[in-house]
Amino acid sequence: MLRRRSQTHRDELTARATRQEAIAQLAQGALARRPLERLLDEAAGAAARELGSDYALVLELTGDGRGLLVRSEAGLPEGALQGVVSARADHHLGYALTAERPVAVDDSGPERRFAPSELQADLGAASAMAAPIRTSGRPFGVIAVLSRALHDFPEDDSTFLEALADVLGAAAEHAMREDDVRHSEARFRELADTTPALMWMTDAEAHVSFVNEGWLRFTGRTLEEELGDTFASSAHPEDRSELLIRWREAFQRRREFRFEYRLRHAPSGGHRWVLEVGKPRFAAGEFVGYVGTATDIHERRQMEEALRESEASFRDLADTAPVMIWTTDVRGNVTFVNAGWLRWTGTRLEQELGQSWALGVHPDDEERLIASWESALAGQRLWECEYRLRSHDGEHRWIVDRGVPRYEGHRFAGYVGAAIDIHDRKTMEGRLLEIYKREHDIAATLQRSLLPERLPSIDGLALAARYLPAGHGAAVGGDWYDALERSDGRVALVVGDVVGHGLRAAATMGQLRNAFRAYSLVESSPAQVVARINRLVMSGVEEAMATVLYLVLDRDTGEVVFSCAGHPPPLVLAPDGPRFLEGGRSVPIGATDPAVFREGRARLEPGSTLVLYTDGLVERRDAPLAERLEELAAAGASGDGDLEDLCDHVLAAVLGDAERGDDVALLVVRPEGAGAERIRVSMPAEPESLSGLRRRLGRFLHAAGASEAETYEITLAVCEAACNAIEHAYGPGDASFHVEAALAGRELAATVRDRGSWRARRSEHRGRGLKIIEGLMDEVDVTSEPDGTVVRMRRRLDAARAA
Amino acid sequence: MSAPAEIGVERRGGTVIAHVAGEIDMTNATHLRDELLASMPNDALTLVIDLERCRYLDSAAIEVLFDLSRRLGRRRQDLRLVLPDGSPLSRVLELTDVGSAAPIHGTLDSALGQ
Repeated sequence: MLRRRSQTHRDELTARATRQEAIAQLAQGALARRPLERLLDEAAGAAARELGSDYALVLELTGDGRGLLVRSEAGLPEGALQGVVSARADHHLGYALTAERPVAVDDSGPERRFAPSELQADLGAASAMAAPIRTSGRPFGVIAVLSRALHDFPEDDSTFLEALADVLGAAAEHAMREDDVRHSEARFRELADTTPALMWMTDAEAHVSFVNEGWLRFTGRTLEEELGDTFASSAHPEDRSELLIRWREAFQRRREFRFEYRLRHAPSGGHRWVLEVGKPRFAAGEFVGYVGTATDIHERRQMEEALRESEASFRDLADTAPVMIWTTDVRGNVTFVNAGWLRWTGTRLEQELGQSWALGVHPDDEERLIASWESALAGQRLWECEYRLRSHDGEHRWIVDRGVPRYEGHRFAGYVGAAIDIHDRKTMEGRLLEIYKREHDIAATLQRSLLPERLPSIDGLALAARYLPAGHGAAVGGDWYDALERSDGRVALVVGDVVGHGLRAAATMGQLRNAFRAYSLVESSPAQVVARINRLVMSGVEEAMATVLYLVLDRDTGEVVFSCAGHPPPLVLAPDGPRFLEGGRSVPIGATDPAVFREGRARLEPGSTLVLYTDGLVERRDAPLAERLEELAAAGASGDGDLEDLCDHVLAAVLGDAERGDDVALLVVRPEGAGAERIRVSMPAEPESLSGLRRRLGRFLHAAGASEAETYEITLAVCEAACNAIEHAYGPGDASFHVEAALAGRELAATVRDRGSWRARRSEHRGRGLKIIEGLMDEVDVTSEPDGTVVRMRRRLDAARAA
Repeated sequence: MSAPAEIGVERRGGTVIAHVAGEIDMTNATHLRDELLASMPNDALTLVIDLERCRYLDSAAIEVLFDLSRRLGRRRQDLRLVLPDGSPLSRVLELTDVGSAAPIHGTLDSALGQ
């Protein structure tokens, strides 16, 4: 009896050890970032094996939360139900999900808490156990084991299943978060660094996790100095504590944060006023930190302060100023001035009496003063005049002088008047005017600052752009240009013109530009992007109208798709001459909703240059548009190969020296790579590198004149070799692989190197990869060298297509 | 960056048609598989995957086609592919013998048996 017990005990210990081993393995897989799909399979396998169950399943909660989708299974017979089952809490699986703990059914016969799951019924299972796969947010799903026989689940079993579920939960959360955050943050950073604004991000612990280049240039600090628990560390010492208090308040409540403070400014060696705005950000419904911007408002702050000061001093002056009083008779002769007047002017009473109106008045104001006085006197009306009068120290100072008719009985008896020194206020008005002018300058600066400070560097694309504000005296306009790389590898180019001028047009332009950036990331069709922006504008509080050319360029094939909303057509400078791209024309944005936005398509021959512009370049009252477009085409065709030179040449040739009545934006773009004989690429050994590799190869092969099928097949062969490097060459970490492709005559040679050893046929799918390489290339050679594996491939391009 | 792909699903009678556009590689192949499986209700008989606007498939994507065929087979559901004649992808599908797992039709109409 004793022996038997200790035997059972030992079995239990062994079982526990193998289970711990299984959990540890799964956890290691999760830490090594093995694909989630594989982890799910491993967990299902381990659950069935260790719990001695007939079937094990991992199910994922569907987007609507109402179903559970089978993601992985072990032991399920051919033809058994797959797909979605109910996640309702009155079924076993949903019950476990709601209970947030493992729920065992030793015998489904007398079970009263819930109905058997559909799976249980389908599989004829008598016993089952399910554990929720929890994450810190919404649960991922359920892991379940089922058996046809009755089964008693001891506590160890539920602990084990729960442990598996917890590892899966962490892995699933990590995978989701990585996807979301990595993509959105990578994109954000990319955008942030091409924006002149100051931008920052924090994590959920309020630690600064990112500041953009603009911020670093402003504060003159390094990224290392700015990251971490550094909030407010670049603020002026006097502002720091209040900034921190306001920030903490907002942060704790996950509220928008807004504060004006002085930020360290390295270029001037001092501080400048900024307005900081921070907004909480959420990924998959979970708070992940703040994102914010700081805007330089120094000029504005200073102006406001100057204005406040001047107002205060005017009030002081008015209170203490001596009142200067005078009276006249019916003919306008001065009959009296008070002591205040005499003190102010430094004159004597005898001088002031009589026809003394011009006495001491600034020569420039004299005529106006006399005219207004005589006119008022003739009609016996109120009189008021602002003029410069010589004060006792000889200086002419501004006064405002008012007179009212006075009566004796009902008879007009002359005027009584009072004057007040308004010199300080008046000169302050001069300063105000100056401030208004500076406001205009700010609008101009804003306009310029909303344009990309530098165009993003886009692999395989040469770009140059110009923005010319309207000529002197004209208001600020709303032209802009933009270029960005979309997630599908194509490049979006935008040139637009907001109708109207001034601060408002410039601000609208900023909003539109950002809207285009956002929609470019989520929408692939140019007409759809433009339609969405139109809806945004039409539903917005701001009334705005804009003409826009939105164009998407595929660098691999030279294919362009564009939508031209009330905008002049894009110009192509092809090797065989210039031409305008027709088609894709529709009404401007903000004209009507719904509106039909069309798309035009074209293909750029290798070596072509795209010229995008706003109508400020071509519109002129004295010449018809068609004539101006011809001039533009001729100017483009005679331009230099260098894009910067081309911009200058086009602007000079088309605009000449004429005063511009409108602003001009110009963007020129040329896909590169034409004529390259060889490319060399090194990339991190991770799956995300593949799409970039495909673009590079695609452009190279396209330029080499390869057909579409050849381009795809060679790209695929090279990428399959790269996949092998990625999948098997290394553990996680520092790894990279190297690709070289060269063209000799019509023969293409490609080499993929890594530092690991190749494991052919590790899986059916990898075996298929090698088979694809061998099937597509004329020659394939895989060599294991001491420091890694080299795959060399050759393929002859179709000679008939040779250029 | 994972490969960009879009799936549009429509249902016609007992057939679910999935239009797959863009690029499928190891970064999004299993996601595609899961989406397609999720779009197949139990009462559908056939899944037609229209690859006309698909620009890139790698071995992971091919593997997914085989896997889908296997999984749908277990549910007693058919898988058919649409790939226009002369598509750049044709040779690779031939090479990997995808046709043995799912018949390849030159047009959607032919796949729908019209």
